[in-house]
Amino acid sequence: MILPKFRHIRPRSIEEAVQLLAEYGPETRLCAGGTDLFPRMKYGLIRPEAVISLKGIPVKTPKVAPGGELHLDALMSLAEVARSPLVMKQAPILAEAAFNVGSNQIRQMATLGGNLCLEPRCSFYNQSHTFQFVDPCFKRNGDQCYLLPKGKKCCAVFCGDTASALISLGALVNIAGPQGNRELSVEDLYTGDPLRPIDISEKEILTDIHLPVYPLSRGSSFGRFSLRGGVEFAALNVAVTLDMGEDKTSCLKARIAVGAVRSAPVRMIGAEAAMAGNRLSKERIEEAAHLAAAEAHPFPHHGYTAPYLRECLKVETRRAILLAKKRVDGI
Amino acid sequence: MKQLVELMVNNESYELAVEPQTTLLEVLRNDLGLTGTKEACGTGECGSCTVLIDGRPMLSCLTLALDCSQRDIVTIEGLAEGERMSPVQQAFQDCGAIQCGFCTPGMILSATALLEETPRPTEEQIKKALEGNLCRCTGYNKIIEAVKKASGQIAPDQIIPDKIISEQEQESQ
Repeated sequence: MILPKFRHIRPRSIEEAVQLLAEYGPETRLCAGGTDLFPRMKYGLIRPEAVISLKGIPVKTPKVAPGGELHLDALMSLAEVARSPLVMKQAPILAEAAFNVGSNQIRQMATLGGNLCLEPRCSFYNQSHTFQFVDPCFKRNGDQCYLLPKGKKCCAVFCGDTASALISLGALVNIAGPQGNRELSVEDLYTGDPLRPIDISEKEILTDIHLPVYPLSRGSSFGRFSLRGGVEFAALNVAVTLDMGEDKTSCLKARIAVGAVRSAPVRMIGAEAAMAGNRLSKERIEEAAHLAAAEAHPFPHHGYTAPYLRECLKVETRRAILLAKKRVDGI
Repeated sequence: MKQLVELMVNNESYELAVEPQTTLLEVLRNDLGLTGTKEACGTGECGSCTVLIDGRPMLSCLTLALDCSQRDIVTIEGLAEGERMSPVQQAFQDCGAIQCGFCTPGMILSATALLEETPRPTEEQIKKALEGNLCRCTGYNKIIEAVKKASGQIAPDQIIPDKIISEQEQESQ
């Protein structure tokens, strides 16, 4: 497969990249790892005039800030994230999520920032034009979505794995733009609109990820379901973080984020509320899993039907909560 | 507009003028004649275009040649020392982990990178490291066996080639 023609620009720093973005206008794409961008360009889905390659920018090593926060460079490859001892200590589920993305080669190339900015996917859109429906869908400026019968809005699914883990941990992202830097929680990063999935303008770049301190009484786990396990986008993923009381049986606070079911990762507010302030008995965990399945409203995607995904979500949520609880106990 | 790029492939330096959209795979195959690196899907799903960039397995079909300046690239041609094959290549041959051979360069490079980092990998680690390399012939068992052999976890006499098995079967019949 051949890439279409474009101008290749290689800045040496983030500041230079921000300047270049403003200079070259909206028909420019940033390329960090290229594992999501180049397939789409090869399929002819997008045709940017210029590609700003971020591969010439030195990658900062993970660093613990004086307040205990862990700062990760968005340009770190997923393989580096997965094997970093600091990440394993302060965000074990981020390392787990990163370890499960794509294949070994993809993890070596793809970056953490790129995984957060992944384009929402749909089996009708993400393929060569030859195999696509004749009438264009919303993503190709058409007026219908083929995913649901008589779909009146785009239902592409955000399939990133690391986003769920970061939302569950309550991480923040730093975004550099012409007006300087701004911080945003990972949860607020996603708009839920597949046509404009992330709340970052065309002139801004996601530069850093800030992870809060990981207390001793915290347990977390990451669950992912897909048919083949490797080289595949998740059918769904669940990240659970439990903050337990001193007795290690009652839950003070829970954060559950589910990815790859809708156009943005979603928090399971009902399931979290069912657990917060309560002892985590078997029944309570079962109830939380049921609530999560009821409130997720998954889109059918990549051959998985909505009822099937709801059932899977119930199972994966239950498993993830149990594992997170076990990890607090130190088992 | 073509741009100049200096590539370091298999310890040899090349200076080339390439179009910005040229991938490393196209340069390796078309300009340098290193056709051991294969193209199948072109979109990063099959792993047959795997090369080692700075010692890590990466997909040359999704890497721009312009992004590879000052990076150390190793292709399958760079593994053997003269006539002598690398231990991983030899193990693949000994175990019969090759059939049509199309996926083999990628498999061997992925395995080489794995053994560089983890000299005695478990079966799970081997599977995880090779998950991005698809093979449509062998059924993977012999490939996993070959990596185990290359890492010294299977003694050479433990591997019985298919030919001997069939001869033994014939004798017993």
